[in-house]
Amino acid sequence: MTGYPEGYTSPRPEWTTGRGLYNALARRADVAAKYFAVFLLDAGGLAALWLLVTYAYAWYVLGITAYILVPWWVFALGVVEGAILWESLGRSWGQKALGRELTPVSGEATPIRRLLYFVLWHLFGLTGIGFVFVPPLHERWSGLGLRRERPSAQAPVPWYRTSAGLFVAVLLVVTMVSALGVTLTWESLRRLFTQAGQTAEFWRALVRPDTTILLDAMRDMIVTVFMAVLATLFAVAVSVPLSFLAARNLMRGPIGRPIYTLIRGAMSIARSIEPIVWAIIFLVWVTALRSPFAGILALWVHSIADLVKLYAERLEAIDQGPIEAITATGAGRLSVLRYAIVPQIVNPYISFTLYRWDINIRMATVVGLVGGGGIGQRLINYIWGVQYRQAGTVMILIVILVWAIDYLSARLRAKLA
Amino acid sequence: MPTPYLVIDGLTKVYERGQVHALRGLSFSIEKGEFLVVIGLSGSGKSTLLRCINRLIEPTEGKIWLDGTDVARLSAKRMRRVRRRIGMIFQQFNLVDRATTVRNVLTGRLGYMPGWRSLLGLFSSQDKRTALANLERVGLRDKAYARVDELSGGQRQRVGIARALMQKPEILLADEPVSALDPATSHSIMQYLEQMNRQDGVTVIASLHFLSLARRYGTRIIALKDGQLVFDGPPKTIDNAKFKEIYGEDAEEVEVR
Ligand SMILES: Nc1ncnc2c1ncn2[C@@H]1O[C@H](COP(=O)(O)OP(=O)(O)OP(=O)(O)O)[C@@H](O)[C@H]1O
Ligand SMILES: [Mg+2]
Repeated sequence: MTGYPEGYTSPRPEWTTGRGLYNALARRADVAAKYFAVFLLDAGGLAALWLLVTYAYAWYVLGITAYILVPWWVFALGVVEGAILWESLGRSWGQKALGRELTPVSGEATPIRRLLYFVLWHLFGLTGIGFVFVPPLHERWSGLGLRRERPSAQAPVPWYRTSAGLFVAVLLVVTMVSALGVTLTWESLRRLFTQAGQTAEFWRALVRPDTTILLDAMRDMIVTVFMAVLATLFAVAVSVPLSFLAARNLMRGPIGRPIYTLIRGAMSIARSIEPIVWAIIFLVWVTALRSPFAGILALWVHSIADLVKLYAERLEAIDQGPIEAITATGAGRLSVLRYAIVPQIVNPYISFTLYRWDINIRMATVVGLVGGGGIGQRLINYIWGVQYRQAGTVMILIVILVWAIDYLSARLRAKLA
Repeated sequence: MPTPYLVIDGLTKVYERGQVHALRGLSFSIEKGEFLVVIGLSGSGKSTLLRCINRLIEPTEGKIWLDGTDVARLSAKRMRRVRRRIGMIFQQFNLVDRATTVRNVLTGRLGYMPGWRSLLGLFSSQDKRTALANLERVGLRDKAYARVDELSGGQRQRVGIARALMQKPEILLADEPVSALDPATSHSIMQYLEQMNRQDGVTVIASLHFLSLARRYGTRIIALKDGQLVFDGPPKTIDNAKFKEIYGEDAEEVEVR
């Protein structure tokens, strides 16, 4: 091009272009994330084990509530050193959980190399300095690196002979033991078996329904169903478009991936807040004491979070074949979406929506308990008012409604499958 | 001397993930109307080669001259116009299982329709007639309104052929079109391809696993090994020594009748 013979000019270094720089940084971040994910799992696991063991020991032996029993820096040091030692010398549970193992880049994983790795990880891994290079320095100089575990010809070692397996088992046992001691007393167990008679009045009321409130209760029940329907429909309208942005296989590249991460993250936060909490938030927000509107908003938010996840996971599982075939005919991107993706997801989407509607009917009742309107609100009013006969009537109605909707949605979904 | 219809020049593909070199500087050319069969062991790069030609896979390096244009360098939009001249059928058929047979066949027209028409599903009546005619041609007229997941493997591949016919292709890429089918069905599918090649003058590039099929239908065979060309010539010239070179010392030839 410029008159130089081929091979005369050297190619431009990768990091001198914006895209090259981005790629270089992304690759380093990727490597570091893998190492630190394993490390956090191991250190976190060891910390949890330490806390639980100390807690159980203090509770049963010393008769007090205590968590670490040593200066905090001893605890921190123990956890960090323990995790690094575990990762360097054996197969840690973090490595196992993330499907990785410490393997030699070439040659054998000698004890010397492992020791070297242990030291180098302190110097270059923990400090983050080593990750400026690819492969990171501690990996280069010890000759050991975290790699995806490879299927081997040997039968897998049974769990009770691996440190990770034993670790998880001990963690479970210690948790059980501490939990039992803390939450159960002989006194509470005795009451469970001897004081059943105190609820007799309630059961008696349940079998003598008060039919005079039937009409009012039915009206509230319709409100509840409406709440569920509206919340579900509005949630679908938002979730369907969002789900495409939250599907890993459709969102690639430097723009797509951050959007994917953001939406998935936001949705899992929204989902982890229970509808009943959302209801309280929205009751404060729309400032009405009895308000189906607050209830709808609460169900709406939670349904969006749930549906986006269900939809997106379905999208991630679609067959790539038709996409390939329709792209090959010369169709545009939107046509590929319309003819290769949509036909694969319509029925599952409808099925998930029905399923969520079914949940929303039940949730609408629960949301009502805190003042979100509908039948739940009526129920809680009767209970606080010690009107057990009326409360019993409402409960019977709820059971019938939930059962009917459950049956209906199951039948419809079976048809779609 | 006229230039060949398709020229592959120094084609290289490196998959980022795992740094796999699937094709290493592959070069060959094809004349119009040839029936080229690509053979080679699993993992030798047959699928990668076929998908580079219509850019379902982005080649890492090299040129692909199709009728005088370098396909490897076209913009996405111009590529779509080229793709409609290239039909493709697949080992796993790649049909939309939940849709009817004609609907699948009609998708072969999508490259020729303006975006809004295809989004609304407004196929012209001409297209619909052609779709039914093409189904007739592959002997599936009576299954036109059946759902694809009710069809057998051989029938599905015939739907795939009908879909490709909708494009009125100049060239057909067939990636192991018969690997999921029994021997008798395989022959019937291969005969449809042969018919397209002979009657409609479609240039066919097919990857096949059985040498006997390759010999029977191909006008020329190329063999890949580790992404490189190890044989290029008429079917008759593959003898036992060549065969062992392509497939390894221990290989035995299997006949498909
Ligand atoms: N998407 C991909 N990512 C990474 N490597 C891939 C990918 N697709 C194929 N490969 C690798 O590229 C090489 C060539 O694969 P290709 O599918 O082209 O072979 P093939 O000859 O079609 O094999 P087969 O007969 O099994 O279909 C193989 O080593 C394969 O592992
Ligand atoms: Mg293949």
